[in-house]
Amino acid sequence: MDNERSLARFERLVQMRHFDEACLAGVMSREIHGELHIGIGQEAIGAGMAEALRPGDAVVSTHRNHFHALAKGVSPKALLAEIYEKETGLCQGRGGHMHPFDLSTNFSATGIVGASLPVALGYAYGFKLRGQDHVAVGVTGDGGVLTGGFHESLNMAGAWALPLVVLVENNRWAISVDINEVSATETLAERSHSYGAWGRKIDGTDPDLVAEAFAEAVDHARSGKGPAVLEATCHRFHGHFEGDHDTYRDREEKRRIRKEHDPLVLYRAKLIEAGLADEQTLDRIEQTSKEAMTALLEEVRADSQPDASGALDHRFVGVATV
Amino acid sequence: MSVASRESWNTSLFVAEALRLEMARDENVLMLGEDVGRNGGVFGSSRGLLDEFGAMRVRDTPISEMAFTGMGVGLCMSGFRPVVEIMFVDFIGVCLEQVYNAMAKIPYMSGGRVRMPMVIKTAGGCIGSAAQHSQCLWGLFAHLPGMVVVTPSSPYDHRGLMATAVESDDPVIYIEHKALLLKRWRQFHDAEPVPEERFTIPFGQAKVARKGSDLTVVTLSAGVEYALEAADVLAQEGSEIEVIDLRTVVPLDMPTVLNSLAKTGRLLVVDEDYLSFGLSGEIVARAVEALGPSGLRQVARHAVPDVPVPAALSLEQAVVPGPASIAEAVRKMAAAS
Repeated sequence: MDNERSLARFERLVQMRHFDEACLAGVMSREIHGELHIGIGQEAIGAGMAEALRPGDAVVSTHRNHFHALAKGVSPKALLAEIYEKETGLCQGRGGHMHPFDLSTNFSATGIVGASLPVALGYAYGFKLRGQDHVAVGVTGDGGVLTGGFHESLNMAGAWALPLVVLVENNRWAISVDINEVSATETLAERSHSYGAWGRKIDGTDPDLVAEAFAEAVDHARSGKGPAVLEATCHRFHGHFEGDHDTYRDREEKRRIRKEHDPLVLYRAKLIEAGLADEQTLDRIEQTSKEAMTALLEEVRADSQPDASGALDHRFVGVATV
Repeated sequence: MSVASRESWNTSLFVAEALRLEMARDENVLMLGEDVGRNGGVFGSSRGLLDEFGAMRVRDTPISEMAFTGMGVGLCMSGFRPVVEIMFVDFIGVCLEQVYNAMAKIPYMSGGRVRMPMVIKTAGGCIGSAAQHSQCLWGLFAHLPGMVVVTPSSPYDHRGLMATAVESDDPVIYIEHKALLLKRWRQFHDAEPVPEERFTIPFGQAKVARKGSDLTVVTLSAGVEYALEAADVLAQEGSEIEVIDLRTVVPLDMPTVLNSLAKTGRLLVVDEDYLSFGLSGEIVARAVEALGPSGLRQVARHAVPDVPVPAALSLEQAVVPGPASIAEAVRKMAAAS
């Protein structure tokens, strides 16, 4: 494992953590109103997927999408401004944190669980039709795997050998429903067999493991062999959304998860143990990221909310107001 | 193709012709749906397209509406112009999620940055297929923001409105009526010749299908044919009704409706969709808003009275508007005036 690549992965981990902490600040201050789903605890997946993605690839993500957007190269400023409901946001404040759309990076998301996969399938079909070697990544959680869209999308991707990668972030909890109590299969990845797809389950708290497996899944799809399903297990440190009392999980258990499965803590220890970095270097990376995020947040906070007069804009392109 | 043979074409073939012209004109146009390829559509409205454009552009799908409707959304975001066929509009229940949460909302949610040039082509209307294969549902789509809702009546309009739908950068629900799809050109009440070359018809321009001064019938889709048949009977009884074909529900051309009402003062809305909370109430509300509470002498609605469409012909005729029931509704209004 080379040192530079490891440091880059560590840097992405902390940047993602800091990004969602900046979002949390907006919930506290009520600058962000409505629900917010943050991904703290799940950074290693976003950090791990960034390397294998190319500009032409598409990512269609979920309600918990910030890290995937950053991994795809969406502008952090435009994304944070959208989450903060600003006119300068990616979607001029019309979408909000669950609905970022960025055509320049082929990134989008949906707030409806499981609905990301059919859209990713459309990208995959288009890539094949045009003879492009791009891949479409549909991200879903464990909950989304149990929707009909998962089955329908993977079936078509398998039947027509489409370049679709289904990335399953298995954090175990669909709000309060434990995947182990509602899934007919032991793992979610093993469902890939039904669709002639590549499949693997990995520990999604280690960015190295994610990067390696995700690259393999992407290569599989890119080379025309059809779809891939990568199940990455992880832990959601917060409730489903900010404001979720999260009483369905034992308090002790949550404390243990945060203590034992924090990807930032684990990766820091891993790098130091392997002699790939020292504490000081890693502290400096954290400090630099923190300062950059503080500055970015300040910049975003100074931006304006959209003018109320524009509430009816963008309904139609070619049809007069009806 | 000879003129004579075009006269014997049913409307489906004109829809297929429209699609063929669009696909030949723009390589980004493609079609997805059940039985659209090898079978040429269960009503024949994509006949011949597979042979001409190949299986990647005329894609027979499995019965997976949720996924292939979402595919349309993803295809739009990567620069294509998909025509997605939902065989019967009644099937929209299994994929409405992608229709109203993705297709219809993404242009707005993206601050206008993402366009959704998608057409959902689907067949509605009653031909004796009972409750799950007879609905119209245009009122449902019109209620949900972000979709153009097209409801063609004549073969000419099916051609021109489909061309406009495919070239539109806005998402479109194009609802065919099964009875019209199966009807031959020469069987239409006032069939006008359909040119072989491409033409478009703008959205939001209703058409006065028949002139009259006694009462205004506002209708759409197969309702236009039924109203014209009723008008012939009523004319023999000395009553001249004006028939307005809305052509599109969104956008809704109220100026044409109001123009007619200024002359007749009497409004009857004929709608094969359900009565309550739908198109007929909307037309009346907009007319009253424009003309004031006493701006009309008579108002009535004739629509499916909030009941699933029954199987038996005797029951179906009792609830679905047709020529006889429209004539009866007009007579009732005349008697009460």
